[in-house]
Amino acid sequence: MPSATLLGQALISGVLAGGMYGLLALGLSLSWGLLRLVNLSHFALAFLAAYLTYELGTTYHVAPWWSAAMVVPAMFLIGLAQHWLFDRFKVNELASLLITFSFAVILEVAIQLYWTADYRRFETPYSTLSIKAGPFYIPVLELTLCLVAGVLAWGTWQWLRKTYVGKALRASAEDADIAAAYGVDYRKLAYLISGMGAAYAGIAGTFIALIATLAPAQIWTWLGVVFAVVIIGRLGNPLGALAAGMLVGASESIAMAVLSPAWAPVVSFSMLIAILLWDPEWL
Amino acid sequence: MNAARDLPKVVAGLAIVALALLPTAGLPAFYDSFVYLVFFWVSLSTSWALLSGFAGYFSLGHAAFFGVGMYTTATLTTKAGVPFLLTIPAAAALSALLGVGVGAVVFRLRRLRGELFALLTLAVTFVIGTIILNTPIDGGGGVFMSAVPLPHLMPTPTGTIYILGFAICVLTLVTAWWVAHSRLGMGLFAIHDDEDVAEAKGVPTFRYKLLAFALSAGIAGAVGGIHAMYVGFLTVAGTFELTVPLYVVLMSVLGGSRHWLGPAVGATAITTLLYAFISGGEAMIGRAIVGLILIVAILWLPDGVIPAIQHWAKKRRPQPAKAQAEVVPVVPATVRPIGERHILEVRAVTKRFGGLQALAGVDLDVREGEIFGLVGPNGSGKTTLINVISGHYPLSSGTVAVDGVSIGSLAAHEIARRGVARTYQIPRPFANMSVLDNVALAATFGGPVRAQREIRDEARHWIGFTGLGSKEEALPAELNLHERKFLELARALAAKPKLLLLDEVLSGLNPAEIDNAIRLVRAIRGQGATIVFVEHLMRAVVELSDRIAVLNEGKLFALGAPRDVMRDPRVVSIYLGKAYAA
Amino acid sequence: MLLEARNLHIGYGDAPAVWDVSLDVGAAEIVSVIGPNGAGKTTLINAIAGLLRCRQGELRFDGVDMTCVRAHDYCSHGIALVPEGRRLFVKMSVEENLELGCYLPAARAGRDQSLERVYGLFPILRDKRGQLAGELSGGQQQMVAIGRALMARPRIVLFDEPSLGLAPTVVDDMFEIIARVREEGAAVLLVEQNVLKALGIADRAYVLEQGRIVSAGLPDELLKQPHIREAYLGV
Repeated sequence: MPSATLLGQALISGVLAGGMYGLLALGLSLSWGLLRLVNLSHFALAFLAAYLTYELGTTYHVAPWWSAAMVVPAMFLIGLAQHWLFDRFKVNELASLLITFSFAVILEVAIQLYWTADYRRFETPYSTLSIKAGPFYIPVLELTLCLVAGVLAWGTWQWLRKTYVGKALRASAEDADIAAAYGVDYRKLAYLISGMGAAYAGIAGTFIALIATLAPAQIWTWLGVVFAVVIIGRLGNPLGALAAGMLVGASESIAMAVLSPAWAPVVSFSMLIAILLWDPEWL
Repeated sequence: MNAARDLPKVVAGLAIVALALLPTAGLPAFYDSFVYLVFFWVSLSTSWALLSGFAGYFSLGHAAFFGVGMYTTATLTTKAGVPFLLTIPAAAALSALLGVGVGAVVFRLRRLRGELFALLTLAVTFVIGTIILNTPIDGGGGVFMSAVPLPHLMPTPTGTIYILGFAICVLTLVTAWWVAHSRLGMGLFAIHDDEDVAEAKGVPTFRYKLLAFALSAGIAGAVGGIHAMYVGFLTVAGTFELTVPLYVVLMSVLGGSRHWLGPAVGATAITTLLYAFISGGEAMIGRAIVGLILIVAILWLPDGVIPAIQHWAKKRRPQPAKAQAEVVPVVPATVRPIGERHILEVRAVTKRFGGLQALAGVDLDVREGEIFGLVGPNGSGKTTLINVISGHYPLSSGTVAVDGVSIGSLAAHEIARRGVARTYQIPRPFANMSVLDNVALAATFGGPVRAQREIRDEARHWIGFTGLGSKEEALPAELNLHERKFLELARALAAKPKLLLLDEVLSGLNPAEIDNAIRLVRAIRGQGATIVFVEHLMRAVVELSDRIAVLNEGKLFALGAPRDVMRDPRVVSIYLGKAYAA
Repeated sequence: MLLEARNLHIGYGDAPAVWDVSLDVGAAEIVSVIGPNGAGKTTLINAIAGLLRCRQGELRFDGVDMTCVRAHDYCSHGIALVPEGRRLFVKMSVEENLELGCYLPAARAGRDQSLERVYGLFPILRDKRGQLAGELSGGQQQMVAIGRALMARPRIVLFDEPSLGLAPTVVDDMFEIIARVREEGAAVLLVEQNVLKALGIADRAYVLEQGRIVSAGLPDELLKQPHIREAYLGV
């Protein structure tokens, strides 16, 4: 049994790692929950954003927040374009899964062609910064990520709760016909959500560039866990996505510390299986 | 000797022999390897389609079965010294067992369909992979197969693996062909289109899904066992990942997942494409092109290549102009007297949905040969009663007996086998089956086991009886509402039911069609069936019924001859209010 | 005439449900369409609300031809629907449901005022404003549905079987409220199975049977004719 300090550190690291899960889950949860479309290209878009941030940072020496200001709106537009395709062809949920998977493959290939499969690391002065709190180390970048994720999740949640557009979206997700009878133009809103989901992927990508080492194949490593997080946090619930992300991150981290690193995947998927079997209506 | 029909078979036979002997031709290993991979993917995707394509239960967990197979062989050969060939059946058995285990739990949950099944199966894959990674089975270092002796079936080791892959491929295709043309396949296709209706028509849905899953998993396991030798070095990361599940989906969807040969076509195409690019050094481009092809296929050929070709061929063939025979059902001149035997006995039946009491204690009897009308205001429980009798909902309490046999606790498909058939207010035909196939299915699962030829003749009889004779090859979408309702009836009749439950069969029909439908109902009674029908069109109910039961608030309110009941002031008041009745 | 429907043919897919129906509603009228189950009442009202397209026929609202108007624009013309079975957004609160009623910019400006009026009409909703709509009783849900419609500041409110699934005493209250909707300045078109209630508050009525209008006129006259009895009872 590891020491209390080690466990504490594992907990902190896990929660922070969970912030990334949550940030990735946020966009996916929105589009899946409100649009009934499964977007597997979400991860590829995040990585595209990451690579772009890396490129702008290393080749053109653009600071990450400036590159984010360019990359994130670009992602929003890509989201709009993707939804145009779905709208035009009246794609159903299963087809959206397969089509977005193909997008992801194509994006992965494009990334690999331009940046090769070599590992890329975006070194910044903050990469190794950490705050020391008692016996624990809190990496600054991860902490920032969690704060940004928290603000984004809370902001999205407030937006869904308090604004007319947010209420219209929630209403449409329940009964699109009656919402339309009261003036809600679902098609326009769907474009907005699609764009937002992609934009969130862009934000996640910026942090991925700062924190992780980039390789094209990595696009697929987070897929399973993030889907589990989206479901555990309930579809369309931004705060749930973040909370579930941190829960899963912490559980994985503790499992890794107590058992061994290789056991991590069991945690998220066992939680997913357990929840779905216990309450198939959980979604 | 019909050249057109036999030529493909001869060609296929020659191709099979040629393929089998390929390794002896002394070609570079490159070709053997490529063809082996084609066999590999054909087997995997075809086995995937057995459940996911035929029945529509989309699984993303094929890697789990494949991986279990691989590691079974790896473990048994390297750690227990079991001869390689013997491990293949063991791999198949273990994977099949896993499939049955997962299916037994998951298929019991009615709500868990669609994307959730896909995600659960994906989750199972990762869990199993992790377990294998963390136990001595793999332990993280991977498993080397180089020391395992290979039986000398072909001149070279590659050749031996090739011929094993070939054998499994042929076996898989034969299995797929057999399933597609068997009762199992018919049931699976029906489950794909509408599982509830399939169950109501007598298809044992749980058993069939489990069987398909077991077959699918078992084949994947066998393929995995052989593939363990091909790769030579196994790792968890390389086995339990997304490539296998997603590629088998791609290949099946591209070729047509409902057709037994569809996945094979898709697998061959994609493998060839990928291999061409890999050997040219442009593996990445190859993958991107595959992605692009899939997008195009889904958007423009959603059912897959083979169905698209079949559809195109059907359009090209000149359609023989069939006479539009307006069949007027023959009503026997003398009405058979109503028997004394009770075909249906309902005693104290209640049904609760959460807080809502839909049926609050219904008692009624229906006699043999009656046309029994069931009416009542909205929310009185009429449709719920039909649903309870047919087994669509389990009853909360009370008993229901059909011809003396208690059916209250039986599954819907067992109730169907005991002689109860029903139609749906909004027709629910199996959308991807022709009219003939729809009726044949009902006859297959609703009656004793017979040869398909006999069943199809019987189906044709019922199709003619309901006036759909000229449309037997049509798909339900090509019929109008009136015809679809009659298809519902033909399907119900094909099971030769003792008790026929009709749910608002007249709604949406114009007056001429209504007259025709009424004649048909009388003709059906003339055949010896007892009919209980729920209807809102009061004039028709009064005209058609021998007796009418009025339900109100979940209970039997009145029962008797039509005109007496509908003039009873108490009944008038529940429809029009007390003041009106006075 | 505020609402003019001429020779409407409406159906689902290829299933025709309403044949050649014509009706009118004046700016301050309460008009009822009665008929037994399966007569096509919901189909008719859904088409007038814009949820369904008419195959044939003309629908004019305040002179505007509605056939080219898209579903989500119907509300902006002043048409509000109280659907069959309420169809509230059950995972949202009572107040959020009401607010969806004034989603459109024109009505949004008067949100606070409109809310006050609705709570004035239905005091119990003020107490339950934060509760999830799915937790309310049938009668209370019907109040929310009516309130939602009123929030849109409509010129006409369409009611689809308002008495369905409600206890008799609640039904009495409901019809009193429907009568008061006219006082709020809107016309009412109401389809109902419950003959006496529907005819009790109507200025004029139509009888719908099997998708066709079989009789029309003043409520007292209709009660004397055999059409209603034949339509509902078959005898």
